[in-house]
Amino acid sequence: MCASVKYNIRGPALIPRMKIKHRIYYITLFSVVLLGLIATGVFQFWPHSIESSNDWSVEKRSVRDVPVVRLPADSPIPERGDLSCRMHTCFDVYRCGFNPKNKIKVFIYSLKKYVDDSGVPVSNTISREYNELLTAISDSDYYTDDITRACLFVPSIDVLNQNTLRIKETAQALAQLSRWDRGTNHLLFNMLPGGPPDYNTALDVPRDRALLAGGGFSTWTYRQGYDVSIPVYSPLSAEVDLPEKGPGPRRYFLLSSQMALHPEYREELGALQAKHGESVLVLDKCTNLSEDVLSVRKRCHEHQVFDYPQVLQEATFCVVLRGARLGQAVLSDVLRAGCVPVVIADSYILPFSEVLDWKRASVVVPEEKMADVYSILQSIPQRQIEEMQRQARWFWEAYFQSIKAIALATLQIINDRIYPYAAISYEEWNDPPTVKWGSVSNPLFLPLIPPQSQGFTAIVLTYDRVESLFRVITEVSKVPSLSKLLVVWNNQNKSPPEESLWPKIRVPLKVVRTAENKLSNRFFPYDEIETEAVLAIDDDIIMLTSDELQFGYEVWREFPDRLVGYPGRLHLWDHEMSKWKYESEWTNEVSMVLTGAAFYHKYFNYLYTYKMPGDIKNWVDAHMNCEDIAMNFLVANVTGKAVIKVTPRKKFKCPECTAIDGLSLDQTHMVERSECINKFASVFGTMPLKVVEHRADPVLYKDDFPEKLKSFPNIGSL
Amino acid sequence: MQSCRRKSLWLALLASWLLGLLGILPLLRLAVPTGPRAGAPQGWPRWLDAELLQSFLQPGELPEDAPQLRRAPRGGSCDWGACFDTSKCRSGGFKVFVYPAAEPTSEMQHKILASIEGSRYHTVSPTEACLHLLTLDAPAGACSLVPPKWNGGKNHLVLRLHPASCSGTFQLGWAMVAEASPTVDTFRPGFDVALPLLPEAHPVRGGAPGQLRQHSPHPGAALLALAEERGGWRVAATDSSACPWDGHCEQDHGPEQTHPGAALPNATFCLIPGRRADALRFLQALQAGCIPVLLSPRWELPFSEVIDWTKAAIVADKRLPLQVLAALQEMPPTRVLALRQQTQFLWDTYFSSVEKVIRTALESLRSFCRSFRTGSSEHPLTHRCCGTAPQGHSWPCPRSPRVPWTSPSITYSRILVLWSNDKPPPPSWPETAVPLLVIEGHRKVSARFFPHSAISTDAILSLDAHSSLSTSEVDFAFVVWQSFPERMVGFLTWSHFWDEAQGRWGYTAERVNEFSMVLTSAAFYHRYYHTLFTHSLPKALRRLAEAAPHCVDVLMNFLVAAATKLPPIKVPSGRRHEDASPPRVPGDLGPAARDCIDRVAAGFGHMPLVSSRLRLDPVLFKDPVSVLRKKYRGLEKP
Repeated sequence: MCASVKYNIRGPALIPRMKIKHRIYYITLFSVVLLGLIATGVFQFWPHSIESSNDWSVEKRSVRDVPVVRLPADSPIPERGDLSCRMHTCFDVYRCGFNPKNKIKVFIYSLKKYVDDSGVPVSNTISREYNELLTAISDSDYYTDDITRACLFVPSIDVLNQNTLRIKETAQALAQLSRWDRGTNHLLFNMLPGGPPDYNTALDVPRDRALLAGGGFSTWTYRQGYDVSIPVYSPLSAEVDLPEKGPGPRRYFLLSSQMALHPEYREELGALQAKHGESVLVLDKCTNLSEDVLSVRKRCHEHQVFDYPQVLQEATFCVVLRGARLGQAVLSDVLRAGCVPVVIADSYILPFSEVLDWKRASVVVPEEKMADVYSILQSIPQRQIEEMQRQARWFWEAYFQSIKAIALATLQIINDRIYPYAAISYEEWNDPPTVKWGSVSNPLFLPLIPPQSQGFTAIVLTYDRVESLFRVITEVSKVPSLSKLLVVWNNQNKSPPEESLWPKIRVPLKVVRTAENKLSNRFFPYDEIETEAVLAIDDDIIMLTSDELQFGYEVWREFPDRLVGYPGRLHLWDHEMSKWKYESEWTNEVSMVLTGAAFYHKYFNYLYTYKMPGDIKNWVDAHMNCEDIAMNFLVANVTGKAVIKVTPRKKFKCPECTAIDGLSLDQTHMVERSECINKFASVFGTMPLKVVEHRADPVLYKDDFPEKLKSFPNIGSL
Repeated sequence: MQSCRRKSLWLALLASWLLGLLGILPLLRLAVPTGPRAGAPQGWPRWLDAELLQSFLQPGELPEDAPQLRRAPRGGSCDWGACFDTSKCRSGGFKVFVYPAAEPTSEMQHKILASIEGSRYHTVSPTEACLHLLTLDAPAGACSLVPPKWNGGKNHLVLRLHPASCSGTFQLGWAMVAEASPTVDTFRPGFDVALPLLPEAHPVRGGAPGQLRQHSPHPGAALLALAEERGGWRVAATDSSACPWDGHCEQDHGPEQTHPGAALPNATFCLIPGRRADALRFLQALQAGCIPVLLSPRWELPFSEVIDWTKAAIVADKRLPLQVLAALQEMPPTRVLALRQQTQFLWDTYFSSVEKVIRTALESLRSFCRSFRTGSSEHPLTHRCCGTAPQGHSWPCPRSPRVPWTSPSITYSRILVLWSNDKPPPPSWPETAVPLLVIEGHRKVSARFFPHSAISTDAILSLDAHSSLSTSEVDFAFVVWQSFPERMVGFLTWSHFWDEAQGRWGYTAERVNEFSMVLTSAAFYHRYYHTLFTHSLPKALRRLAEAAPHCVDVLMNFLVAAATKLPPIKVPSGRRHEDASPPRVPGDLGPAARDCIDRVAAGFGHMPLVSSRLRLDPVLFKDPVSVLRKKYRGLEKP
């Protein structure tokens, strides 16, 4: 075959022969390139694929297969904990430096099994709870797998229970961690510290500067602002299904459910029971149970057998006494049952006491006063008890319920210390969701009467009614306390009149041109507003007298957190239609004021522009209506307070306008306004408006007194 | 020939394809496991045998463990349960005994002792007291000896204004220490008291009010002011973030203040270094409404046990200056607003005078005296108001329930008659629809403002025997009160004024265009003011009330105004009442009555009254519309 090819070389034409030669050449070249490509590809990806396939199997491997680390007997031991450590002395905050999200980054060391020189394990490799804890951290926003970017390091060495580990060897294991550096920025979790006979209240493992999240700290071992006091997790939290029971009086007033109590304490409790009879119940271990019944879940009183923790739900107060350790898992069970814990453990640092207000959920009684517990508890009013029961349950749900909750709360506390300006507030930590949603926090809570000298800024929204606008400007400029006038020119097709044409007034006048004809431009927080008081006024409100406006401003000074306006309006519940209805004149009540002329704090401009809930702002701009109702909703919602209607004025009717807007126009107007109220109420999820029956008049209004001597004589037209 | 060529061609192609496939296949196979890697953090592994792991509680080990009795408190560290004997408080409540100072000491110490002696907790008998107060500031070498009832320091409070004084000669033992700006290292939380570091000139009572005049920062105000080492404040340029406050680029900054400490900073935030000497600046900033930004303070913030400082100040780490600066610049207006207002609230409530500081200290110590610790429920208006403020003295309520003052359908729930005549009350009383109670034998005027346990409603309508009101008037006033439960709502008013000629305060019923007080002969107010009147007035003012019964009206108005910083509310009334009660209107009162306001103002140390020029009327009040439309028709009569 090939010979024929050779033979053929001398064939008819040169060019085709060349072609074939080329072809073969190209094909070979192509194959070589392809092979090369494949080879490089394989070469390049091979090592990675080996690694990744290995990692893949790591995900699925067993705890028993983790690498073993042998600790030489003479390997270094960290120093004992430094009791003077504080965040700004022992914590390296530079590691947490640049972080736009104000969130610490937490690294977890990989799991290893530590053995001593003779191959004996230092501890159980890892407990179920610690594994859960590390999983929770790993799943949280705090986690990073990049050791160089981490701010906090969590060893995978399990020290939850001191009794399961060998102290010296564990310390050696800690010291050889790759970033140990005297324990700086390392966080250890421990729930059961100390051991027999004297049970220290903090982990005995030497840990130098490491932070300790410990259960059962006492005032002597707790480094305020450095360590974190955590609860002792109760395994029953996950094992037992306990439906929530609401607050209220319960069968037993006081209950003690702990099994291992010192005889002296038990004696005192017994005395209480003898004295107060049925309302006190002191439970103990059951002695006569058959083998197959789980003794942890049963409690006995004489021959009566009770289910634990269910029995806790039968009591109003539950005693949490110290054992050998200060931290007791029973606290978690008690809180869960909505039973108010009566903590009798002197010097015990309650869990998360740095942020949780335990006064709201517990009663702390000194051990000396144990005999008086009953009378102390009886002095607490029922309303407060119910509040505490609710609070106790909420604490459990939020911070005790699971290992995850405990881990995240601990990290949050440390995070708040490092980024204090982004810290979570007392209310966020302590208020149950119902309180959080059900209460308002007035942003202007300080009772402050601004000085009259500050004056107010009038904002006139105008489109093109220049003549009317000029009249408004002239009228408003007569008000003594006016300090600035701002005209918001909302017409993009037409320029505002020349400067020389504007009325000459005694205060600065500024014109702001807007980019779009929107109603919400009226409520924009312009930089030009330098006073706190803002008077929103329409370009056709010429009927308000200078006295009326000045009086309105003075009323606002006394109520700077409210909308102060002239004509009042009312919302009503229409029972037939099952919806809200808008009502205008001649009512005995008021829940809104028109912003055609109204005083308010400039902060509400900021809220209206940037914090208006839902799509209300766009909706108002699209419908060109109801911006005033939206403002009324916003202010009432954020402050929880009603508007103030001033003077008897009922509507903005210009003196010379005749009744051009007929009845039919009025009707559609009312329907539209009612729709607005219903729409806003659904967006806010509630009806924030407050109804009041009063309006503000000058002190001597319509009193039998010489008009000349009244401060605001020119008030009173409707 | 051709076919041979083709064949070779196809063969080459096939071979290359084969090779290609062979090369790609393993890659394809590997592509799947590499998927989850793709840059995502690996995280803590999910162990195959996670379910089989043992609990941290060893089998057989109970979560609750072997019992053990308490240890005796070790020296050096103490807490309330261990080192304070509450049983001493039982009989007389919380009483404080002050050891007489051996030497005339500093002026501040003098002021503090005077304030304690003026407080209602002070006692002159050491046996009655449950807290013994000892001052440790003395000239070197003149430290007082261990007092006779020392008892290892138990139930003793050692007042130490200068940290080093007498530390060598004295074993504190179980004594609590009240120290101005103590260092965090020696402070025992839950036991010691951190006092603010006060300037020598701090006023005993009254004191300058907070300087904040508006809620939000003025648009032109500077962002940062820095506390300077020499005293005084320097306004920092905010754009020079390169050298924000290390003091090395002074030429960039604004005018320097020449009088150290004289002027208060005018900025949104005040940066204060962490040295103890700078604790003075902390109060300055607080007063100025400048949000303190403390850089790693080495001292404990004043009353940190009871005041939630995170609401008024920012404690930042000085090691991260750029981050702090960025955080301040980006802080949302809502937070700035809240912090600013809280500074003022704290200043006015706890720090503006020595008396207030001492009262705060004693109130926080008083909780030691209760034999247990739990939430207190005495005051519905401060209900969880400002975090953990000491009881009774915080007013503005940033958080209020959404439906606060639900109105009962019946206005009256109970009538209390205080019979203050020697003659026994008449045996038969008129029939009333609500329970009527007669309390006898209280000759004292202050009995009128005693928190009688029979008062079960929040609202109190205080009436005199000769005041007469119509139902419309009372109904409307009650409805108004429900909107303003913290204020007094009354019918007849007085107004205070500064008498230039005589150089003192006066008050009159004649200035009719404004008012600042309402007469308690007919007024609604919250029952909490009875508690305040009885339990928080300084001794001197209570004595005044007993000595001059006609002054209680003024005193009550002062009390409410000092608590609310707001004027009372006037509601319309017929003129006939004013005619009906001439003795209560002081326009023609004798000099003794005119004296009242001056004496009360002196007792308060400042003038808390605020004037108002408005009256709250029913919405349709005197409008030209049918009376039938109006709800409060009784008010319409001329």
